[in-house]
Amino acid sequence: MSTLLALAEQIENSPFGMALAESRYAFAVIEGVHLIGLALSVGLIFLTDLRLTGLLFKAVPVPDVLRNLRPYVIVGFVAVFVSGVLLFWAEATMLVENPAFPFKLAFIVLAGINALYFEFVIAKRAPVRENHAILPVSVKRAGYASLVLWTLVIICGRLIPYMPPTG
Amino acid sequence: MDFLTQLQSTGLAHVIAKGNHLIGASLQVLHILGFVVLLSSLVVICLRMLGLAFVQTPLTQVARDGVRLIWIGLAVAVASGTLMFISGAWHYGHNWAFELKMVLLVSAVAVQVLLFRRAAATEVPSPLLARASVGLSLLLWFGVGLCGRMIGFI
Repeated sequence: MSTLLALAEQIENSPFGMALAESRYAFAVIEGVHLIGLALSVGLIFLTDLRLTGLLFKAVPVPDVLRNLRPYVIVGFVAVFVSGVLLFWAEATMLVENPAFPFKLAFIVLAGINALYFEFVIAKRAPVRENHAILPVSVKRAGYASLVLWTLVIICGRLIPYMPPTG
Repeated sequence: MDFLTQLQSTGLAHVIAKGNHLIGASLQVLHILGFVVLLSSLVVICLRMLGLAFVQTPLTQVARDGVRLIWIGLAVAVASGTLMFISGAWHYGHNWAFELKMVLLVSAVAVQVLLFRRAAATEVPSPLLARASVGLSLLLWFGVGLCGRMIGFI
């Protein structure tokens, strides 16, 4: 753990990390980009999930939803990821010691596994590809799992500044 | 004592600001979730309006569920945002990012009601109306998000 902390200190104290942390507007703008990228990527995933669970957008076939939204989800993710790396660069020590941060990362990994399993296994099955009226239960389950996991990512992310400092 | 100071001296404001930190954190989470739902639903309708996605589904059908989600998202964001504002009214009232956010928010809602709704109600809106609605709407709502996130760092 101390090696990780030492590494985080080194990252944060690099000239670029210090410039980011001390900048008047850059840090705030990067936070803004992080939020907008999140709204685009996780927001569109939420809408996809609502279709998978059958709650909304029933007029649009599931394969259409996946194909049409994928490029914009990816654009949003690139924005979230790049801004996220920059934020980490400026605040590495605080984040490494923050109790909410590892949970956020863990839920991102779980949500990612759920998404990949859906894309490459569930969505490849005939009833989904051929847009049957009644879809397998696994589709609905993947949708609910995604809704819950991404909500947890957002909650843990927003809790970061509320966590008491440790160490 | 001015109005903003009075507002943040009310009992409710004290509970939110000085009570359990989880109250403030929960409001922040709800505020973000509301905005996420609003912006993503808006993007979907915009994509359909420009013919970039869901071209096989009629615009009015995409818009029906989408518009509902936009207003649900806005309601959640405004409700949680109002409580957050009350808890620190003076601080928010003297923050330029907040003031700019409010101007952008009012403009965005006006565009939504006066322009966007008209475009989304027809099956094939005129390209000019569609592009103006999408461009203005996305610009204003993205601005709302950006300014909103900047408030705490100004």
